[in-house]
Amino acid sequence: MEKASGSANPAESQGNLGELLEEAKGGREALIPLLQRIQERCGYVPPEYLEPVAKHLGLFPSEVQAVVSFYSQFSLTPKGRHIVRVCRGTACHVRGGKSILRVAEENLGIKEGQTREDLRYSLETVACLGTCFLAPVMMVNRNYYGKLVPPQVLSILRQYE
Amino acid sequence: MSALRSLEALQELRGKLLHKHPPKKSRLRICMTGCRAYGAMELRESLAEQVQRAGLQDSVEIRETGCHGFCARAPVMAVDPQGWMYQQVRPEDAREIVEETLLKGRLLERLLCSHPATGERWATLEEIPFYRSQQRKVLALCGFVDPRSIESYLLHGGYRALAKVLGEMSPEAVIEEVDRAGLRGRGGAGFPTGKKWRFTRQSRGEPKYLVCNADEGDPGAFMDRAVLEGDPHSVLEGMLIGAYAMGATEGFLYVRAEYPIAVEHLQVAVSQAKELGLLGEGILGSEFSFMVHIKEGAGAFVCGEETALMASIEGRRGMPRSRPPFPAQAGLWGKPTCINNVETLANIRSIILEGAHIYASVGTESSKGTKIFSLAGKVNNTGLVEVPIGIRMREIIFQVGGGIPKGRRFKAVQMGGPSGGCVPARHLDLPVDYESLQSIGSIMGSGGMVVMDENNCMVDIARFFLSYTQSESCGKCAPCRLGTTQMLSILNRITRGEGRPRDLHRLIEIGTVVRRSSLCGLGQTCANPVLTTIAHFREEYEAHIQEKRCPAASCEQMIISACQHACPAGIDVPNYIGFIAEGRFAEAADLIRERNPFPSICGRICHHPCETKCRRGELDEPVSIRALKKFAADWYFEHMDQEPEPFPLSHTERVAVVGAGPAGLTCAYFLRKMGYPVVVLEALPVGGGMMGVAIPDFRLPKEVIQREIRYIEARGVEIHYNSPVTTQRSVEDLLKEGFQAVFLAAGAQRSQLIGIPGELEGIEGLYYGLRFLRDVKVGKKVDVGSKVAVIGGGNTALDAARTARRLGAQEVRVYYRRALEEMPVSQRELREAMEEGVSIHCLVSPTRIVHENWKVKGIECVRMRLTEADESGRRRPVPIEGSEFFAEADTVIPAVGQAPDLSFLMEDTRLERVRWGALRVNPNTLATNVPGIFAGGDLVTGPTSVIQAIGSGRRAALAIQKYLKGDPTRVQIRDEKCVEDTGAPQPPQEAAPRGRSEVPMLAPEERLRGFVEVEMGYSEQEAMEEARRCLRCDREKAPGRPC
Repeated sequence: MEKASGSANPAESQGNLGELLEEAKGGREALIPLLQRIQERCGYVPPEYLEPVAKHLGLFPSEVQAVVSFYSQFSLTPKGRHIVRVCRGTACHVRGGKSILRVAEENLGIKEGQTREDLRYSLETVACLGTCFLAPVMMVNRNYYGKLVPPQVLSILRQYE
Repeated sequence: MSALRSLEALQELRGKLLHKHPPKKSRLRICMTGCRAYGAMELRESLAEQVQRAGLQDSVEIRETGCHGFCARAPVMAVDPQGWMYQQVRPEDAREIVEETLLKGRLLERLLCSHPATGERWATLEEIPFYRSQQRKVLALCGFVDPRSIESYLLHGGYRALAKVLGEMSPEAVIEEVDRAGLRGRGGAGFPTGKKWRFTRQSRGEPKYLVCNADEGDPGAFMDRAVLEGDPHSVLEGMLIGAYAMGATEGFLYVRAEYPIAVEHLQVAVSQAKELGLLGEGILGSEFSFMVHIKEGAGAFVCGEETALMASIEGRRGMPRSRPPFPAQAGLWGKPTCINNVETLANIRSIILEGAHIYASVGTESSKGTKIFSLAGKVNNTGLVEVPIGIRMREIIFQVGGGIPKGRRFKAVQMGGPSGGCVPARHLDLPVDYESLQSIGSIMGSGGMVVMDENNCMVDIARFFLSYTQSESCGKCAPCRLGTTQMLSILNRITRGEGRPRDLHRLIEIGTVVRRSSLCGLGQTCANPVLTTIAHFREEYEAHIQEKRCPAASCEQMIISACQHACPAGIDVPNYIGFIAEGRFAEAADLIRERNPFPSICGRICHHPCETKCRRGELDEPVSIRALKKFAADWYFEHMDQEPEPFPLSHTERVAVVGAGPAGLTCAYFLRKMGYPVVVLEALPVGGGMMGVAIPDFRLPKEVIQREIRYIEARGVEIHYNSPVTTQRSVEDLLKEGFQAVFLAAGAQRSQLIGIPGELEGIEGLYYGLRFLRDVKVGKKVDVGSKVAVIGGGNTALDAARTARRLGAQEVRVYYRRALEEMPVSQRELREAMEEGVSIHCLVSPTRIVHENWKVKGIECVRMRLTEADESGRRRPVPIEGSEFFAEADTVIPAVGQAPDLSFLMEDTRLERVRWGALRVNPNTLATNVPGIFAGGDLVTGPTSVIQAIGSGRRAALAIQKYLKGDPTRVQIRDEKCVEDTGAPQPPQEAAPRGRSEVPMLAPEERLRGFVEVEMGYSEQEAMEEARRCLRCDREKAPGRPC
């Protein structure tokens, strides 16, 4: 299985920041794309990056913080190696998505939005993956698992070390 | 490739491409977007390998395309030039496809789309029912072109519309054309696109911006995703034409980051278009310049709202602002900005190419063109459908969508996601257009259509959407921020079983305020799901609030297991199934009796609502709960020969029960169990009520009823037969005789008339269903002749028809005035009747019973056709003129319904009645207006089912107990565990699908020899195996469970 993108070690990625900043040109409108690059590269937005980013784009750090906290894509804490996303779209909901989430939470020992201490998994919910024909559906990293029934969840999760 | 500098150069390139890529002999088109989740990638590799191995690489093209629409059967592929559609293709199929289809030109039947029931197969788009009602215009190229190749798009006529606009049309003329086409924004609100473009054009300020809103956030919607993934250039072409028309020089494509394939395909498309000079400065040699930037969203639903979206593009928190100024006046960075939805822009191409006039010939007066819907939820053919606006909802769901899986009932369709509303069954014949949907509180929305069946709870759906909007509310304006939180907390309370009487009123009040006073579309529409579900499904809310019951058995915090909750008697199903799994059969029967004293009877004739809700049914098939009940009860009676002891008496207050049917005897049984002396008064010489006289022996043998009644008597219930309550010994007299409480459960045993000419009493050969069945059951000699006509579609009608077959009738026809799928009879009985040679004639209504010399000759009938749905959601039948016909018959058996017979009441009785004559009772306590007199079962409700009558009987027992103890509170029946967990083994966690074990049945020809019971039942081994299929949902721990 492929690894989720990004390294969880901020020290290692600190060097990347300069590079990323250099690519980001412009003012405020460059902020979200830049944060997306950081998130992609590091797997989260390290809090110590907020100030340099703000300075580079000519913004207040509070403005950067405001944007980071508004959008659910950004996280200020490190994520697990494998991102488990359970869809909570309407189609999944009417086809029993609730129990998929519950079973995933039970098996992983974490609640939605949390990351396991061993950084093996992060469990997230997403508004809709747009694959309603697969409902109920769950995604691990970039792999889709559709038409799930609760007993399958455990064997899927086990495949991700 | 170098940039094209003129229109001619574009034309030239098209010619060159045709020359460079002459069509190969065969082409395989594989969906490489949605189907990827189903292994399309592996399939393509396997196909490529096989093609290579067969040496066909020069004559076969393998093309990766976008979505073909029929996502339910993914992965799908098409074979050209034949146009054959193969579905659910696995990599292992590649060899056969190459060898048979490509080399020999043979159709592979097994990979075709087939009808789940009839097995009929269809090969091409024109034949497959899913595509037949569709008009794929916007999706015309989706599934045909390779979305990552601009050459493929050009070869299919791509950018011809752009060339036409640049070569022949002024910007004003383009706007005029779009205006005349009547295109309305497909994002949901339906604002006329031409008008929006004109505003932007006329607005002062430079530069102007065009934004394509591809932030498809509505859960349940995936139309835009499919268009972006499958045909991205059509969106770019639409943007280019729009930009030209309104004078925009810069464009933004705001895409959800959750759609990685869409982002990738758009990036490819933009860079290819740039390379060809279709984006950039001086496009195709004209003065028109336009550049597009892709912006990925960052996970905020509210950014689908246009002002929030602009804030997000500008790099700020995506919060909406109030309008005016509208974006056309002051949008991005204060400049005129036009924001169009993906699908809107994808429509532009065909408007320009075919002209406004032809475009506008599809659709309704006020809504033109086609609309793409993503069909999902509880529908057979999930996928992407494009239909003319104005099509009826029924057609989308039942023809295109193929109906509801597992034979369940349609309940509602949710349109437009969290901003939309639910459309219930009775509005299925509504044309799907902006105005009609609005008139019932729903919206067209962006096109998400989520179908719900009887197992979905509407309160839970409202709660689901609200929890969504509540967490997505940006918090800027108070009505939305606080209103959603308040509504959500009320809905949470209701679904937990803690609803309060004023809650509905409060929800409507808050919802109305939030709708009126919120800043943006999110807030203005977020109450729609709540308000429409209250409007259309109020009784479901009331069941939650008043009875703490979820009729769909879906609200987890109110239920232990869905089967138990669905049972009107509330039997602890998982535990008795558990006992059977362990071979503890007598304990299973005793456990059933904790809620239902008729395990043997219900094991035979219950319509088992529990099985409809069984979670195993989601995996493969529901556990055969009814047949297991039959097994346990039969085992009990065969092995336990000792009579049970009477329950001990602990009270002195005597109770009388009128009627020894299921409701009456259940009430008596439970009161006796509580320690009250009970007397049951029955008018007939036999007990069992309708079960005893109207259900034929081949479904329910007399002995089964008798042993069940004997058991009840043995537990101490006194039954007085031939003891009618009449005007001589009235109900009120019973109270004077010293009974402290009376429960009336006299059933609904009066046959209803059809109400047609010729329906006269005393005619030979005219037999009402109930009377007929009773006469046969008690052993009277009945001669039906050789031709029998039965009128009706319920169990009584079919029972009568099957009985007539057994009495020697050669030709038994059942006439029913509605459609087959609306017959109230159970599926099982219908199937058995047909096996026995009963012929069913639907959409036929009798108009006269023809007789001569007081002897029936036959019936005159008329054929019916179905029109719109009536209040009940069923389609109303109307006669077809000129279709009258005569059907000969020796016997005519009307069985169109039964009603309570209240003639036993005194004329001056104090008992209050409702308008249609039945007794008025408190639905919770079943108390009449006279203290001490209660009434229930079919007598109050009209004919229902045995298990409902049993539920009603137990409710009465609990209510009478409260009454006798002077407790004025409501009866609260919650699900309870009747024993500790049986500890029966759980099926393995990774349970493989395994269908239910079929119950052995008598062969049809043997059945007709007499009245022997048709169903034979499980052996011990079979029963234990079947019981082990139970998933034991009751063991799953959920916070706040009642146990």
